[in-house]
Amino acid sequence: MKTHNGLAAKLLDVFIVVNLAFLALDVFIAHAVNAFAHWAEWIPFYFSLGAPGLLALTVFTKKKRWKHWCRVGIGWSAICIGVTGMLFHLNSHFFSDLTLKNLVYTAPFVAPLAFTGLGLLLIMNGMIHDADVAWAQWVVFIAGCGWGGNFILSILDHAQNGFFNPSEWLPVFTSAMAVGCLATVFLIPYRPLFLKFCIVVLGVNLIVGVAGFGFHFVANLQVPAVGQTAGFLYGAPLFAPLLFPNLSVLAILGIWKLQSEVA
Amino acid sequence: MSFKSIFISVFLGTVLIIIALIFNAKRPETDTHQPSPDFIRATGKCAACHRRETAAVVHQFERSEHAKQGLSCLDCHNAVAGQETQAHRGFTIAKHLTAKNCSQCHSTEYTQFLRSRHAAPAWAAVSGARDFTAEQIAFAEKYHKGAVDRPANALAIAEGESAINVGCLGCHDIGKPNADGSIGTCTACHARHSSSIALAREPQTCGQCHMGPDHSQIEIYHESKHGVLYNAQKADMNLNAPPKKLTTADMSVPTCVTCHLSGLDGLNVTHDTTERLSYWLFAVVSDKRPTYQQGQDAMQETCLKCHARSQVKQYYQEAENVVADTNLKITEARELMKSLRDEGLLTKTPFDEPIEFLYFDLWHYYGRTAKHGAFMGGADFVQWHGNYELLLKMTEMKKIAEELRKDSENP
Repeated sequence: MKTHNGLAAKLLDVFIVVNLAFLALDVFIAHAVNAFAHWAEWIPFYFSLGAPGLLALTVFTKKKRWKHWCRVGIGWSAICIGVTGMLFHLNSHFFSDLTLKNLVYTAPFVAPLAFTGLGLLLIMNGMIHDADVAWAQWVVFIAGCGWGGNFILSILDHAQNGFFNPSEWLPVFTSAMAVGCLATVFLIPYRPLFLKFCIVVLGVNLIVGVAGFGFHFVANLQVPAVGQTAGFLYGAPLFAPLLFPNLSVLAILGIWKLQSEVA
Repeated sequence: MSFKSIFISVFLGTVLIIIALIFNAKRPETDTHQPSPDFIRATGKCAACHRRETAAVVHQFERSEHAKQGLSCLDCHNAVAGQETQAHRGFTIAKHLTAKNCSQCHSTEYTQFLRSRHAAPAWAAVSGARDFTAEQIAFAEKYHKGAVDRPANALAIAEGESAINVGCLGCHDIGKPNADGSIGTCTACHARHSSSIALAREPQTCGQCHMGPDHSQIEIYHESKHGVLYNAQKADMNLNAPPKKLTTADMSVPTCVTCHLSGLDGLNVTHDTTERLSYWLFAVVSDKRPTYQQGQDAMQETCLKCHARSQVKQYYQEAENVVADTNLKITEARELMKSLRDEGLLTKTPFDEPIEFLYFDLWHYYGRTAKHGAFMGGADFVQWHGNYELLLKMTEMKKIAEELRKDSENP
């Protein structure tokens, strides 16, 4: 196990802790829609409540062995929760009848993979030093996978209202370009200027995500419901567009390290 | 900057966008082309919860013609003018669905239904006119004089409220006046989420209410040749045929609906159950309806799809003879009751003396049964369940009348 003293590694740790903590709120809202119908739906919620605190505590401990196993435990737990969650989500409708309709209206099957991504990042951050180019490549790769999820979710979520407003295609287009850029990083040798191009594309996506948050917020204020809470619970998923700036930040972190390596 | 990198990234991004567009184009038009985002979401979002909570209704709907035509849940559950609404998991839906929701698309059927005895007269037969507006009463009275502008049913009142609510209205609510100004519910015959034509064509659907001693149509039907043949050949029939395209090839043996409502081989379809009737068979003494000739002609047009004209004429003549004879027997009983009342041997309160029940059974059970049996091919119901009982009850009534008179002479 390598140490991870670099600034990038520390920033990645902060990213993981913040994301895990935020997932508690996100999971709570998402599963409140069906009133936590299955007891297993509480697992990701409690995990997201406990894991960030535990991870934050590891910063202050000097017991390296304890710190190591704590991170490994949280990392693998997150991976398992993510994969199992995806299977549960698909099992809600899609496995019973493999149709496009069921894929659209099944519980968002890509969403639980956020746990898997964070678990992989956590384990990777403990195993590879951030000065190593592999560290940056893995960050970009995992961010790229996340962008793949963003692309799929932006199609499926907006398909639920039939892309009623043409602007709902915008995140589909921009996330597709982000996936294209991040995939290209692995397909051919990259140069500094292309990495800057990637950052521009990710920047555009960051803006699209923030705008999407605004659109979802306004839409939920207008939705006919008993009180505002119900509007936000059953309306457009409020935090989903924030995945765009979130994953933009992660990808930019990896690209920044790649750039410094190229330089 | 490497152009190759930019080219590949743009290429990959474009491929993904094309995949997204193909994915969306492959979705059924009914899932994407709806009047509002709510309607689109309802096509699958409702089922997302209801597959768990009330799974049967989702399966029923998925097998229905409504689903094949691409309706979403909101098409029916959306509140129409005058209906109370409720917020339900991000959707605004009607609190109660009525015939008004169905009439959004099926207005002709609803209008025909309104003219029928299934509408206001059905409810008024139990509850009287009190629940209807003046307009509703005036409309119904045009077609069924005295059937709505009338007092509540005396027998039902005597039996009490719980019997009325759970018993009488279980069937008679087919003509219930709704808060939104409409009357009745189509789901009594078509069921809610199945919204099935085939179900409405099943004799047992009519038999939910048209059964028992007072209107034993389902029992008569199953005894008749029609019923026997239908039960034997049901598997060969196409009960799902569209109403305006129904042929004798689809239903070579009739059920209740075939004769009374269906557009068999090009005939007009109707939801007015009285349109093809010629007598007030349910009445104490059955007179010809004002539309006697039109009703008889319309019904006989259906008969002629299977039977020779001479056969139909003879059948009608024999049935009318039974009606005439039954009328005579019931008139005799009615005269007996009137004379007892005139002589002061009966109280004015209805249903407080045994002879009143005997008389009620005589016309309401056995008289009706004999007449319905005659028109529906139920020989046993004309004879044993009809005329035999008429004779028996008349004899019993005469005996009681004799005793009442004796008692009054020798108090």
